Amino acid sequence: MVGEQKDGQLAAVTMELLTAGRAIASSLNQQLTLLLIGNQLDHLIGTLEEYGPNRIVLISGEEAREFIPEVYSESIAVLAVKASPSVMLFPATYDGRDVAARLAAKLGVGLAADCTELRVDEEDRFVQVRPAFGGNLMAVIQQPITKPQLATLRPHIVKPEKASLKNGCIIEQAKAVGLPKSYDKAILKTVREVAEESGNLDEAEVVIGVGRGLGNPGNLKMVNRLAVLLKAAVGGSRGVVDAGWLPHSQQIGLTGRVISPKMYLALGVSGAVQHLVGVRTAKEIVAINIDPEAPIFKVATYGIVGDLASLLPGIISSVESSVTEKA
Amino acid sequence: MPDVAEIRIDEVKHTLIRAGVPSILNPFDEFAVEEALKIREQLSGDVTVISMGPMQAKDALFKCLAMGADRAILLSDPKFAGADTWATSKTLAMTIKKIGFDLVICGMKAVDGETCQVGPEIAELLGVPHVSYVKRLEIGQDGKSLVAERMTEQGHQLVRSSIPCLLTATKALNVPRMPTLISQMAAKKKPIEIFTAESIGAQKDEVGLPGSLTHVLKVYTPNLRTGEGRIVEESDKDAVPGLLELMKKGGLI
Repeated sequence: MVGEQKDGQLAAVTMELLTAGRAIASSLNQQLTLLLIGNQLDHLIGTLEEYGPNRIVLISGEEAREFIPEVYSESIAVLAVKASPSVMLFPATYDGRDVAARLAAKLGVGLAADCTELRVDEEDRFVQVRPAFGGNLMAVIQQPITKPQLATLRPHIVKPEKASLKNGCIIEQAKAVGLPKSYDKAILKTVREVAEESGNLDEAEVVIGVGRGLGNPGNLKMVNRLAVLLKAAVGGSRGVVDAGWLPHSQQIGLTGRVISPKMYLALGVSGAVQHLVGVRTAKEIVAINIDPEAPIFKVATYGIVGDLASLLPGIISSVESSVTEKA
Repeated sequence: MPDVAEIRIDEVKHTLIRAGVPSILNPFDEFAVEEALKIREQLSGDVTVISMGPMQAKDALFKCLAMGADRAILLSDPKFAGADTWATSKTLAMTIKKIGFDLVICGMKAVDGETCQVGPEIAELLGVPHVSYVKRLEIGQDGKSLVAERMTEQGHQLVRSSIPCLLTATKALNVPRMPTLISQMAAKKKPIEIFTAESIGAQKDEVGLPGSLTHVLKVYTPNLRTGEGRIVEESDKDAVPGLLELMKKGGLI
């Protein structure tokens, strides 16, 4: 599997991939190798070993300085051809998807992208589960014809788990391969944009999800007030992200984040399947929506049919007094 | 110099019935077409749109012609049916190679499959670099290189690439123009060329379902919980207290 790091720090998805990869490798009775590309990454070996790969290959060199997908796919291809793995896993990040796609085309093999689940089935087949048809259905995919079988795994879905038994892990070094001669490609600048105040969607016990039923982005002020009182993180449906009320990093659902809070407060959210997939495992779902037929009420444990904007002030003051009572 | 803007409407996978179902122009592809038109305005050239799909895809191609594209090609052949991303990429790459190109622009993803794979796979098959998730684009006046702003999880990157290359477009790239009455009438005069597997020299087992490397074992509806919850009206005086109760019970306040 191919891990991801930025500036010498491991992306969390690398540990998620190691966890998923370990399970698959043991089911298929095979070895798990982690490839990591970049320079001066020796300090990461300790952490990586805890997740139980049998082998770690660090690919480094002048060409590995910047993430250029063509360099990575060429470098990995050299190793893949030598080692002949049956499965190769990548993170479904912007970079991971680029590398996986180029590698798949280069090797002439299949690629199942953006998978939510990767496992070995009862017939010892490596299967990949991913949403299809805009998320209305889940597809279970196999790649019976070619090897390696490639897949990219959606981040934030698999819970990373350290290996209970420590394998003896072999560390190898490899050299990055340069760009093909006709390609002139370079990263000129990398810009980090300051993350919006969103709270931590993955860790908050309460998450407030905002839908178009909120009415207008001005009402977010009330939502944020409630979030502060409840120590909640704020996320939104695809509709509000597309409308620009919230950034994509706060999108909850199929093409956003999958979360598992104790309570999910769906405010003005209609409850489209693609959104609900993101909160399926929340303990309680509370919904407020003006439409009694809204699908969200079918999955809510508690719901209020009414006008969100008029209900919010009352809810906020009740929570406020409860919180100050305790204090 | 010829420009190519490629749009792609995925073929049916598994058991979905396409007959009689209207095809839409993949929203992301509109941005690709618009960008190609802008580049043509800057540098001159030809904009060709390509789509692989059933005959209904003609409507989407017509829209592209009405926006101002010069040429439209529909890859339509029962042999193409059931193609996965590999077979689709292969088919499109063969077509693009055949007609020649300087720049290929794809939508970042298709809203039904949403894999974001086909663009980079085509680039690899064509032997050109690619820049994905492009938010902004500047083409050098000599038409030999470009600088693109590429989305990343943390923000964005500025990437330089030589041309020929392939780009995938995001919604942030531009605002697609609306066809006018005049451009629609002009579009009616432009043919939509139909290409088959034979036209591009593709063998039966290279394309469509036989050429696919990923197979769908089954599809199912995602298992969503059923709430059996307590739903009350706003007017119910217990509405808000009930919510507070739930929060207190969960130790959340």
